[in-house]
Amino acid sequence: METSVPGGYAGRILRVDLTNDRIWTQPLSPQDYRQYLGGGRIGAKILYEEVPPDVQWDHPENRLILATGPLAGLPVWGTGGLTVVTRGAMTNGATSTQANGFFGANLKYSGYDAIVFQGQANRWVYLYIKDDTVELRDAAQLLGKDTWEMQDTLNTEHGLSGHQMSVYGIGPAGENLVRFAVIAGDYGHVASKNGCGAVMGKKQVKAVCIVRGSRGLRAADARGLYQAADDIAYDLKTDPSTRSLYEYGTLPGVVNLLGLGALPIKNYTTNEKPEGTDMSLWEAPALRNGFDHRGHQCSACGMHHCHMQVLPSGPHQGKIVDEPEYEGWSGAGWAIGLTDRVAASWLNTQIDRAGVDVNEFGWLIGWVMECMEKGYITKAQLGGLEVRWGDAEAANQLLQLIAQRQHLGDLLAEGVKRASERLGGHAADCAIYTMKGATPRGHDHRARWEEMLDTCTGSTGTLESGAAVKPQEMGLPARINPFDPDAVAKLVGSLQGRRHFEDSLGACIFTTRTTIENLCCALNAATGWDYTLGEALRFGRRTSALLRAFNIRCGIGPELEKPSKRYGSVPVDGPAAGIAIEPHWEHMLDVWYETVRYDRKTGLPKPALLRELGLEHLIPELWGEEVPSRAV
Amino acid sequence: MPSEVDRDTALAQEEAHVQIDTVAWVTRYVGGSGSDRIGSALARAPAATARTALRRLSQRLPQLRRALRDPASGELGEHIEVVVNGAILGVRHGLDSELKDGDRILLFGQYMGG
Repeated sequence: METSVPGGYAGRILRVDLTNDRIWTQPLSPQDYRQYLGGGRIGAKILYEEVPPDVQWDHPENRLILATGPLAGLPVWGTGGLTVVTRGAMTNGATSTQANGFFGANLKYSGYDAIVFQGQANRWVYLYIKDDTVELRDAAQLLGKDTWEMQDTLNTEHGLSGHQMSVYGIGPAGENLVRFAVIAGDYGHVASKNGCGAVMGKKQVKAVCIVRGSRGLRAADARGLYQAADDIAYDLKTDPSTRSLYEYGTLPGVVNLLGLGALPIKNYTTNEKPEGTDMSLWEAPALRNGFDHRGHQCSACGMHHCHMQVLPSGPHQGKIVDEPEYEGWSGAGWAIGLTDRVAASWLNTQIDRAGVDVNEFGWLIGWVMECMEKGYITKAQLGGLEVRWGDAEAANQLLQLIAQRQHLGDLLAEGVKRASERLGGHAADCAIYTMKGATPRGHDHRARWEEMLDTCTGSTGTLESGAAVKPQEMGLPARINPFDPDAVAKLVGSLQGRRHFEDSLGACIFTTRTTIENLCCALNAATGWDYTLGEALRFGRRTSALLRAFNIRCGIGPELEKPSKRYGSVPVDGPAAGIAIEPHWEHMLDVWYETVRYDRKTGLPKPALLRELGLEHLIPELWGEEVPSRAV
Repeated sequence: MPSEVDRDTALAQEEAHVQIDTVAWVTRYVGGSGSDRIGSALARAPAATARTALRRLSQRLPQLRRALRDPASGELGEHIEVVVNGAILGVRHGLDSELKDGDRILLFGQYMGG
């Protein structure tokens, strides 16, 4: 057995038992590193092995895993992030959600590849890390602070600024166990899905604060790593698709998705822009240059993606905010009928500060606005608050009520699925969610069938396969008819695995929009291994299968794999008007199940697949002694 | 010497034509700044389809051609989205559906998520 730590790794996992105030490190063998890589995969392993079905999301023994990967901290673009894995509050199932910034790099420089929380503290604490100093410190002074104030306070306390310290934690929403609370950090980066912030809040951990450590990271082949990093950067700068991402991040999404009928407008009630809206103001250059702006790049990243901006006008003029991602413009803007760019930008940062998922916020507030307009929710129910389409100030007031769980905010803090089910009647028909409870991303998936199918079948609390990236490399067509049920289901099933591989590298999903071959070159140069495209995909599918098995064990099965009534409805106008997914849904599931080789009845990965993936040890637990003939 | 697009535009004023607009980012591939809209009117050839019209437009625009075409298959690639008369390809038109006089094709960038 090899004993040395592979290049790219710190060599230890940090374990934190909050109940017993105990902190220790756990080494992994080189074989383990090769098998589990990092990020989502290492999280999935720990989740499956250490969280039995009776440990719900709010049980002290739930695990909260913040993991990096082998590229984090190395000079490959976008490698400062973390992947959060836990049993989440929205689906009460597996979660794998990613954020960027500097956390991953700082953690590695302190000598750790991941942090695993277990137990529950008996007081509010934050975890402080600086090389070998790892302490749970009292967080009383941070309580009630939003995610930006919290970082300001800790920076001041420690006399640090800029990227000398990375802080990821929860806002008031996480403290109050809002189900769609997030873990946010480094001023504008968010691990947003499946209520991972509520899990952190339940454990009474306000933040993790990592001073940039002093340890070096070794690459097995430093020259090869620089070459691979350069190849990836060149691809991102010159590929016809990623060129826009390189220059403007996700800003082009607003205009592009409007053209596709996939920009969600006013809670899916229309796909046409309001009369008189000047869409030239929503093009990427105008969105960026309409504000005084500065680059706010993540660790080792050369993309012109993340920015900070100054609000040029309005009641909050002069405030510094985070330039919204496409999904910020969507959730804090179009989904709630808000087409004032300055107001939407302000609201987006308010959402990050309070610490809730901007996608769920958009579906929830859009639902409230529609319900008020139609008389399904009254002003009295909202404590006298009038909430009309596009009213940013009223939306912010609701946000604060939700974050504090006050008045109707207490019900809304449960998320739109539970709130609408509780309210019932016509209101229930207007809500956008999956039956599992997962939050759809900030698009109108009625014109993106692959994403609706992916969201409903995924085992991560969000999209699991994600958008196709260079699908030809995987033997898939460059383009399919987006409304062909068979082609869509085959594509989504066939793409499974790639995103898990990316997430396990410790790299951003945007800077991994290159070939898997390029990513393998970077991984191999870092570690000295010989990963191939086939092994990368097999690795990713193994992660999918494990998370799927976890969810089935938690009682989240195929019967929940469908959209809510509004989510799966027919667009009434716009580029996808009249197209209905509902008549094809069951057939699409049939094709998807056949493609991924899961059992259609139980949802479980079939034994033959488990054997192929090296997960045969799961067969007795998942299938028992006698495997039914349909699943053989 | 006028380009084929210029010639087509002139012809299109008198003859049956189809309009191809590039918007936002995709204008970079037709000599624009990456914002707003650049339109081209093409004389409609007999039995013209979206595929043949795009092929003609991109003949003199190598960046657009590269962005439109999947090099392996020669088919329409993944980088550019195509909308015909306000509907996504696959709703009312396919790439090989015949175009009528006055039909409008809109090109914009691929959806990138996030």
